[in-house]
Amino acid sequence: MNEALERALVEAGIAARVEVRERLAVLIPHAENANLTSEPLRRAVVALAAERGFTHVALELLD
Amino acid sequence: MDAAVSVSEGATAAHKERQLDAWLREQGSVLVGYSGGVDSAYLACVARDVLGRENMLAVVGRSAAYPQQQWDHAVAVAERFDLPLVDLPTDELDNPLYAANPTNRCFHCKTVLWHTLLPLAAQRGLAVVVDGTNADDIADYRPGQRAASEHGVRSPLAEIGFTKSEIRALSRGRGIPGWANPSSPCLASRLPYGFEVTTARLAQVERAEAALRALGIGGDMRVRHHGDLARIELEQNELTRWLAPAARRALRLAVVSSGFQRVALDLRGFRSGSLNVLSGVTAA
Repeated sequence: MNEALERALVEAGIAARVEVRERLAVLIPHAENANLTSEPLRRAVVALAAERGFTHVALELLD
Repeated sequence: MDAAVSVSEGATAAHKERQLDAWLREQGSVLVGYSGGVDSAYLACVARDVLGRENMLAVVGRSAAYPQQQWDHAVAVAERFDLPLVDLPTDELDNPLYAANPTNRCFHCKTVLWHTLLPLAAQRGLAVVVDGTNADDIADYRPGQRAASEHGVRSPLAEIGFTKSEIRALSRGRGIPGWANPSSPCLASRLPYGFEVTTARLAQVERAEAALRALGIGGDMRVRHHGDLARIELEQNELTRWLAPAARRALRLAVVSSGFQRVALDLRGFRSGSLNVLSGVTAA
């Protein structure tokens, strides 16, 4: 869990829990409608994660 | 995959191919460490043309880290271009130094490979053992290259300065199937350093990637194995399509059915050497 990244994501419009696996952040979305089909938003999320030391960020695909 | 080259680049590539012809003639005979990938397929086909069937041999080292689909392709290329082909089992997973998956895993793998292939070259009277390393590879983190050097294995494509795009263009000109195929490193490259390489894990990755290909995913794609979690890397221009809700479900189903409990899609997309970045490993 990384509260700083979670807060930054909420400000960007993404409600998700962040699971930390060393330098990989796994975003577990609260709702399937996290609109990451938007490329600018994806770039923003990657940048937010990078600012907090993550080299990789991935969205968990939920059932 | 774009293999278009300008007129001057084409002339340069053609000049390099003449240099390669001359280099091969100078050796007289070669054993090619062959995977069926773009580079070694090109090298094997040129060697077959220049030296004749009796003076070359293409040899595949096979283990659980070598995908079946790639073997099928390697055989198809060999049949089409009349390459004499041999496959030898390599047992790198039995080596604990390899299985522990250190950052120099490729060194241990290639050491086993060349230990296996060099005696065959001697037995067949082939003068030199060569591999398909190209000039672009040299800049990357490639501990396997050290094993090649230590065993006297030559890399004529790199020595002459062939770039990947030149090899693709020349392969296309020769009609070698797969000239546009994405790079296909071994399946162990999907496991983070320090995460043990096992036959079962390699098989999981192989199944998952095959299932994703069956969904119609082309280009560069990897399933990175993080234990319970599979992290999919797709080309960036594929991400928008596969992040749509229905597509996400299809991805998840394909990968879960391959034996993973959880599935995630990397938001940055495919990166060659992604796990080197994750582990902080850089080219020496």
